Parts: sequence; C-alpha cells; structure tokens
Amino acid sequence: MNNRVNCIMLVDDNKSDNFFHERVIRKCNAADTIITKESAQEALDYLKTRESVENVNPDLIFLDINMPGMNGWEFLEEYKKLDKNRQSTMVVIMLTTSDNSDDKVQAKTTGVLSDFKTKPLTKEMLEEVLDKFHNDNFNEENTF
Amino acid sequence: MDDINKKHSELTFQAIVEATPNAIVLVNKEGKIAYTNNQTEKLFGYSRFELVGQMVEMLIPERFHRHHPQFRGTFFASPETRAMGSGRELFAIRKDNVEFPVEVGLNPLVTIDGTMVLVSIIDITTRKKAEERFRLVVESAPNAMILVNKEGVITLINKQTEKLFGYDRRELIGQKLEILIPEKFRAGHPHHRNMFFSSPSVRSMGAGRELFAARKDGSEFPVEIGLNPIETDDETVVLASIIDITERKRHEAFVKLELKNKELEHFNYIASHDLQEPLRTVSNYIQILEEDFSVRLDEEAKAHLQTISNATKRMSVLVRSLLDFSRLGQGQKLVPIDCNVLVQDVIADLTGLIQNSSAIIKLEELPKINGYETELRQLFQNLINNAIKFRRKGLPPAISIGCWKNGLYTEFYVADNGIGIDSRHFERIFHIFQRLNSARDYDGYGIGLANCKKIAEIHGGAIWVESELGAGSTFRFTISNLQI
Repeated sequence: MNNRVNCIMLVDDNKSDNFFHERVIRKCNAADTIITKESAQEALDYLKTRESVENVNPDLIFLDINMPGMNGWEFLEEYKKLDKNRQSTMVVIMLTTSDNSDDKVQAKTTGVLSDFKTKPLTKEMLEEVLDKFHNDNFNEENTF
Repeated sequence: MDDINKKHSELTFQAIVEATPNAIVLVNKEGKIAYTNNQTEKLFGYSRFELVGQMVEMLIPERFHRHHPQFRGTFFASPETRAMGSGRELFAIRKDNVEFPVEVGLNPLVTIDGTMVLVSIIDITTRKKAEERFRLVVESAPNAMILVNKEGVITLINKQTEKLFGYDRRELIGQKLEILIPEKFRAGHPHHRNMFFSSPSVRSMGAGRELFAARKDGSEFPVEIGLNPIETDDETVVLASIIDITERKRHEAFVKLELKNKELEHFNYIASHDLQEPLRTVSNYIQILEEDFSVRLDEEAKAHLQTISNATKRMSVLVRSLLDFSRLGQGQKLVPIDCNVLVQDVIADLTGLIQNSSAIIKLEELPKINGYETELRQLFQNLINNAIKFRRKGLPPAISIGCWKNGLYTEFYVADNGIGIDSRHFERIFHIFQRLNSARDYDGYGIGLANCKKIAEIHGGAIWVESELGAGSTFRFTISNLQI
C-alpha cells in the first residue's frame, strides 16, 4: 500500500475483532507496527508512558465505543487531557457496531474524533482513512 | 298548698324564667300570652306590657295566622313536651315587622288556671345563615358534592352533581344514594355506608378499590370520592365529594402504554445492536476461512461455508431491519410535504426497476400534507416496489396512485394488477417477518409492509388491503391531518 503509516493502535475489548482488524491492516500492509489494547485504560496507559519507555507513537487509533470499564467516550475525555503536541499527530477513528444516529450526534461534540465507521474494518475503509490521513484532511475539517 | 308556698313557687318560677337565655312565653289554651320574660322583650322589641293579654299570633307572621289556632288546639288536645312544627321551617315576627327564623320548644304546664304551654323560642338566624353559607359553598364547589344522611338518603346536591350524573336535583333529593352507583355494586353499598358511620372520619372512599358511578342514562364512569363526616344538631351526615377521573384514567393508560412502547423500543434496539456483534464475528471468520484457507478446503466444505455465509448475511439484514423498524419516526420532525414531489422522487429512484418490468404508473394529483418525510417516502417506495415485485408473469405492472381527503385525514391508495392476495392473509401481511411467497419466487424479508403499517400509525392513520387472488391488490392507507 502506498499510504502507509508507522503505527496503528486498535482499542477493542473484543479479541476476535482485534484479530480480524489487525489481519486486514496486515493484509493491506498499512502499518509497520500494530498495537492492540483490550481496554481503554490499557490504551491510555500506553499513550501516557510511551515517551519514557520509548514506545512507538501511534498515528492512527481505531477505537471501539462499547467496552466494559472505560468506554470509548470516556477514553476520548481522558485523551483530550494528553499533551496537545502528542494529540496533533494522532487521528482517532471510532468503530461501532451499528450506525446509531445518537452516537453520531455525540461524536460531533467531542472535538477530537476524526471519523466514525461501522464495523468491521475493511480494506476499502482503511484505504479511505489513510488517504485522508495523508492529505491531512482530518485536522482541517471534521469529516462526518 | 297554702298561699305562702304558692307565692314562693311562683317567685321561683319567675326567677327561673327570667334567668334562661331563651325567649319564654307562657300561653293559655285560648292563645293569650300570660307571661313573658326579659329575653322575649329583647327578641321581639315589645315590652311585656304590650304582650301580656294579647294573642300569641302577634309574634307570628300573618301568613301563618290562619292555621295557627288549629295547631294550638292539636297541642292542647294531647299536651306533651316537644319541638314545634316538626320538619317545617318556623318564623317569628318582631314589632318592627322583621321576620326571623326560629326554633320553638313546647312544654305543657298545669296551673290553677288550667293547662298552659310554656313556649321557648330560639332565634336561629345565625344558624340559618351558616347553613345557607354551607349550601352556597357546596353549590359553587368545582366537584360534584352530595350530602347524605345515615340512612343513605340524599339531602343536598350541587350543580356539578346535576351535570355529572345527568339528573335534575329534584330527582335526587330524597332518593337513596345507591341510585348513583352501578347496579352490580349496589347491594354491597349499604354495608360500606354503615361501616363509615360507625367510625366516621375524613377519608377517601374505597381504599385501593376502583370506584365507579352511574349516570341517569346508565353509563358508568370511574370516580374518586372523598368523604367528610359533618356533625349537625340532629345527626351525623356525610358530605361526599365526587371527581370524574375518566380523563385521568385515560391519561394514565396512555402514559403506561407509552412507557411500554419506549421499553419495547429500547429492548428492540439493545437486541438488534448486541445481536449484530456476534453475527459480525461469524461473518468475519467466514471471510478469513475463505481468504486464508481456500487451498485447504475442498469444494463441499466451500459450499457449506457459502451456506453459512448466506444465512449470516440474511440474519444480519433481519436484525438491522428490526432495528430500523424500531427507529421509525424517532427523532423525526413533522414537515409540510408535497406528495406529488415526494412520489415523483420515489418513482425516479425506482427507474431501473420500472423500466426492467415495463411498469406503467398512473399518478393522480396528490395533496400537500404534514408528515414525516423520510418515513412517508419509504411507505410509498415499499408499496410501489411491492406492486412491481408481485406482478403476474407476462403482464406488465399497471399501477395507479391517488387519494381522497376529508376533514380528518387523507386516504391514499396504491392499486396494481399483480398476483393479488388471498383474503385470509389480509392481516398477516402487515406483521413483521411474515411472508406469503416462497423465497424461490419472490425474495424478501417480510419487513416492508410492517414498516408501512408502523409509518401509517405514527401518522395517526392505518393501512389495509383490498384484493383478490389473481386480480391485483389495492393498498389503502390514511394519514391524519397533523398539526405542526
């Protein structure tokens, strides 16, 4: 794939979804590194400590909404509190099970979400996301 | 009895009479006043010299003069201590000709001058005024109010009671209260009444039971009844305050229904949302098997995998349909809709299908109505789509769409010349996931007409079909005139 990124992070409590999404990303050869986290807290901990332990900086995060403990929305609240410089290089895409219009309305109010996609992640979806990422469309317009 | 003693007892009598707080008049058989006290002078405005020796009728308004001597005669025929005028309203008249209501007690007194009557007179103006005030309060109360005595006889009602029950007050007063109770509850009521009078207290009636009242025309309605015991001079009566709670009950039922609907929609949403997830996992892994294990699977295994895949896709569509169905009309706004434009748009969307089937659609002039646009579009699309889909082999679909309007709603129709529907199935076709035709001939999920039904219903309307097997169908639906 032409539009490769360095690192993609998957945050989903559903192991098989993570497995499947990771496989799609690998098949597309879309990233050098894929990090999978099975809870929002683990993902947040990773982002907070990554500099000190020289973790890889994810360029893209695919985030599930419905997770036990901290859910996707709560993750976003915590994510907003992170260092702005770190945020600016990252793009967060919400992955959901169904296209609930209420969720879309809520997504618009968060201010950090870059897109909103219905599971499962497909090759086409990934290409679209990466195209946008490289054209730097995310930060200028919130593309819903 | 010697004179001294006699004198002594006369003095005692006078002292007692003067000391009583009531007006006392001693009257002889002929009706002449023999003696009066100070209170009488005060009450009537005469001095005792003006009274003694005069006929007692001078203290009575003239309209009663004619019958009074006769009443007096009756008393002296069998003298006994009693209240005068049982049940009648009594009036007295003052020297200045002002009348006032009185209560009169009669006590026979045997003297040497013969039997006399000691008349005790109480001015009850204040009491009467209080009674009148009470009557006015009851009359102007916003609830129906009924005063009932221990025997269950209605003694007073107000205007609201007349209105609520459809009786004139003359028809109710003197009747047993049970006339206002539905027949099936009448027999048990006197028992309840007696229980109340055995320990009267302010309380609502029926404690937890549903209460019903009956109108003059026999119709029944739910009520709430408050009971207030009132102590009068003679007895305890009860003032019942009655509220028609038909509206409240209707509202309660409505709220309950709405709550149930909300619950159901929530359930529907959760079910379809959470069901999608494992379903997605199944189809994801079918994909993995197909893509990564293709070389290791033989043709038979691949065929089975295809069957699993098809079933999963179908279930996914069904679950999503259920979700869409539950969401119909939610969060939508009523807007003015030009149905001509809307139906033209639908026809434009279906161009491919229409051309492929050589369908002809005849469209009458349609009105502008208020409705939920997306839903209404879906309704027309489903009906037109069905009209084309269920066509007869070798006969191009001919569809006509029109409507008529009255003050309450607009009735639309979509008529076709297709395969028609057996009248046995007229109801069933509108139920979700019900299909009449085999998937081999006509594919589908049995969701379209269920959606149509719900869409008509959220517009305050209904949908039904007129059809004959092999002779086409006419779907009709109504849309209420909705205010935005």
